Amino acid sequence: MHNKACSRDESSMTMNRTIETDSQEEFIEEIEKVKDVLPKRIDANPKNVEKGLAKLVLTLVELIRKLLEKQAMRRIEGGSLSEEEIEGIGETLMKLENKMKELKEIFGLKDEELNLNLGPLGDLM
Amino acid sequence: MVIYTYGVIDSKNIIDETIFGLEGGGINNVSYRDIGVAVSELRQKLQEITDANVLKHEEVIETLMTKFTVLPVRFSTIFNTKEDLLSMVEFYYQDFKDNFDRLHNKVEFGIKVIWLQDTIKQRIIDAYQKTKHNLSISSESPAKTFVKEKFEKHIIDKEFQEEADRCIAVVDDYFNKIATEKRLKKLQTESLLLNAAYLVEKDKQDDFKKAFEQLKNAPGDLKFLFSGPWPCYNFVALTRKPASVDYFNTEDMLGRLLAQQGLLKR
Repeated sequence: MHNKACSRDESSMTMNRTIETDSQEEFIEEIEKVKDVLPKRIDANPKNVEKGLAKLVLTLVELIRKLLEKQAMRRIEGGSLSEEEIEGIGETLMKLENKMKELKEIFGLKDEELNLNLGPLGDLM
Repeated sequence: MVIYTYGVIDSKNIIDETIFGLEGGGINNVSYRDIGVAVSELRQKLQEITDANVLKHEEVIETLMTKFTVLPVRFSTIFNTKEDLLSMVEFYYQDFKDNFDRLHNKVEFGIKVIWLQDTIKQRIIDAYQKTKHNLSISSESPAKTFVKEKFEKHIIDKEFQEEADRCIAVVDDYFNKIATEKRLKKLQTESLLLNAAYLVEKDKQDDFKKAFEQLKNAPGDLKFLFSGPWPCYNFVALTRKPASVDYFNTEDMLGRLLAQQGLLKR
């Protein structure tokens, strides 16, 4: 049995609002995660400008790397690549991924930090 | 003193009802042509964001909605002078007029849906392995092994996204005919299949709630969170939009309400 949570606003609001769910805890957890998608803005100041710029540049590089990877997978899926070409693509993607790992380590950046909030368009990646 | 704003309203007249806003300030209408902005005076810019302040902001908007069409303004939006405020209204005047036409007599509802992402992903992986929708290359080199792994992930992700689209279409079908507009956010997290806002005419609120009851009672493993009615936070659309203008949204408000009840960590 689920615990059904169904409530109306108890504040002085006027809209007779209902908030209803059978899975309160799970939704709270997911809302927390959505709230925590950072960064909302690029935080650049004299103390962290190097890291801020690195974050911006690496985010764009990561975006391009992911696009390349996606395009390569689509071509493989379409069956238009020979084994030699797949070998070449594999080597390139592997080197790119390793280089990104190195750069992220150097600037102390995590995967989830390499993103930009584009306001109404959502997150870049 | 600074000018704190709550919402843009479709009236240039004095607000005859006494409404108290933040710090107990009375709400006034600063008019421009045939519209106005509901404001109150503050001693200074808000120093901290408290649940009480956010909920007061919401309360003022909801009170205004009983008499006017309101375009809710993001919490904590202030102007230093009346001239600054009026130049903003002048700049967005046509946008505001268009929004009044669209949002008149309408409210917003939120629908969030969680699905069993682990079960669905496992089902997709099993199907992938059974059908051997596999890459027919030998994997004697590290590069090819790398590509094989990436390819498998690519196919599984693609199936996962397609399955999400199918499920969202089923959910959306319940509300699509009732709502006049919608904003659907897919898979903001792997579990949160759908985070939707629907714009609904006030006299169709009951139909919307009934549709939710039907959806909730339909067979399946989906879990739902229904909330509303809200002011139309997610549907104010400005065509002239400098980066500095950002509108307050339902997510913030729902978070505040849950936090106020001690359900959400702050």
